[in-house]
Amino acid sequence: MRFWAVVLRHTCRNMLLTWKSQGMTLFTVSLSVLIFSFFYLIYSNALHFGEELDDDLRLVVYLDEEPAPPLQEEYRRKILKFDEVDRIEFISRQQAYKRFEQQLGENTDVLTGVPTDFLPASIEVYPVRTLDSLSRIKRFSDYLQTLPGVLKVQYGKEWIERFYAFIQLMRVITVLSGSLLIMTTTFMVAHTIRLTLFSRQQELELLRLVGATSNYIRMPFLLEGALQGCIGASCGLGALLLLFNWITLQFAGPATINLLPLAFFDWPVVFAIIGLATLLCVVGSFSAIRRFLHL
Amino acid sequence: MNPETSPPAIMIDLIKVSKVYSPDVQAISDISLTVAQGEMVFLTGMSGAGKTTLLRLISRMEKPTKGMVDVAGIDVVKLPQGNIHLLRRKVGMAYQDFKLLAERTVADNIAIAMEVVYRPRSFIEKRTRELLEQLDLTRKYNTRAGELSRGEQQRVAIARAVANNPEIILADEPTGNLDAETTGRVMDLFAKLHRKGATLIIATHDRSLFQETPHRIIELRFGRIRSPHAEDEDDGVEAPADAPPSLQEAAQ
Repeated sequence: MRFWAVVLRHTCRNMLLTWKSQGMTLFTVSLSVLIFSFFYLIYSNALHFGEELDDDLRLVVYLDEEPAPPLQEEYRRKILKFDEVDRIEFISRQQAYKRFEQQLGENTDVLTGVPTDFLPASIEVYPVRTLDSLSRIKRFSDYLQTLPGVLKVQYGKEWIERFYAFIQLMRVITVLSGSLLIMTTTFMVAHTIRLTLFSRQQELELLRLVGATSNYIRMPFLLEGALQGCIGASCGLGALLLLFNWITLQFAGPATINLLPLAFFDWPVVFAIIGLATLLCVVGSFSAIRRFLHL
Repeated sequence: MNPETSPPAIMIDLIKVSKVYSPDVQAISDISLTVAQGEMVFLTGMSGAGKTTLLRLISRMEKPTKGMVDVAGIDVVKLPQGNIHLLRRKVGMAYQDFKLLAERTVADNIAIAMEVVYRPRSFIEKRTRELLEQLDLTRKYNTRAGELSRGEQQRVAIARAVANNPEIILADEPTGNLDAETTGRVMDLFAKLHRKGATLIIATHDRSLFQETPHRIIELRFGRIRSPHAEDEDDGVEAPADAPPSLQEAAQ
């Protein structure tokens, strides 16, 4: 207990001694965490949005004729031959008409005089979640196109392609900002700890001479690094939360907010980001100690 | 065995110890010395004789080039770097250059030695005040060490060395900057610690400190222990041929 009290006192003294560079480090760590977590938040929201889309993702295979039950079985067999699917639904011309009617709601009068079999029969193929990658869906679509009697296959190709490209871009940006976080935090913390070590060199030598253990000397610097990481990450995430609230308030229109259900990080993710930043700062601190503190 | 007749335990044991500083300055050569537990020894000799080097070897501030150094049962030469604190907690050393933190207060400078062994704050404060009173520095409790005179700094260094009541006290020229009255105070403090059982080695060239002392006096000359019988023979002695340039200069 006394050990930690002494370590804490030394840490506070260190931080006061080099308060300017401490401030700069905290600012850098906060900014790095803010940048990283901002992109990660977009990425995770996009992923979440993608998962919701996956639930509705289906390939609609339009047929030139309504298949009889033996032909339906044949289609089912051929589809399953390519890959496992979640489910296959055959939609007759009548069913298609009824759906369309429901979608029109109050405007069903536009269908007056239109024959109930004017829409083509179709097969709705719901891929299993393993088929969520774009390339597989495309290949699946190409395969379905080759089946006899198929007029057209639809799956919102352009939209999905754009969405997945966006996800890929966000993934790259998140990784890059994560790398930036790693580099800046470790470098800045190592630099600040080095300054503290130089400013207290005489005292550290004396501590050694009067019988201080290596841990007694090292621990305040490691704790300093940990505090910089923890406080910096908390400030960065706090700033992100403010930004998030501002954005949701600004875009809280009746249409947009329903289209993009944004969510902030869950507590485990918040703690994981703070923990990661703290760990990185401790690593930076440790590397400075190893290089400049000869015990 | 009757404890009263048994010889006192050996606290410091040096066997054929030599120290050569780079490139080839022989600071001490082939010194063998034994100091018993609770003994007080005066280490004397002219400047450059090797007194400071000997104290630095005992506290493991230096490693010997050759020989064995055993302090309080610890083989100082083989002591791993990570365990040096075990030795340093047994040895309190008052350095010739004081090694004070100029920007910190007198109290802080003394407290640092007690903080590393996790003494309670109340104890540290009480002990600091007690030592400052003994060394006539009570009024300087909150004064920054850098603002003190050299004599005052010297006393703060001594207070820090003895603060933990260490088993061994090494004092390097402890009265070099002090007047007669303050010297008396410092020597009284050492005597008190000696009576409590501490082993003391006081390196000094101030003859007044040991002229009438009942304690052992060891004289160093050119890095070697001078034989007590050689007192008269050595007047006007020249440095040995193998003595390093700095020591020859010191002899001249």
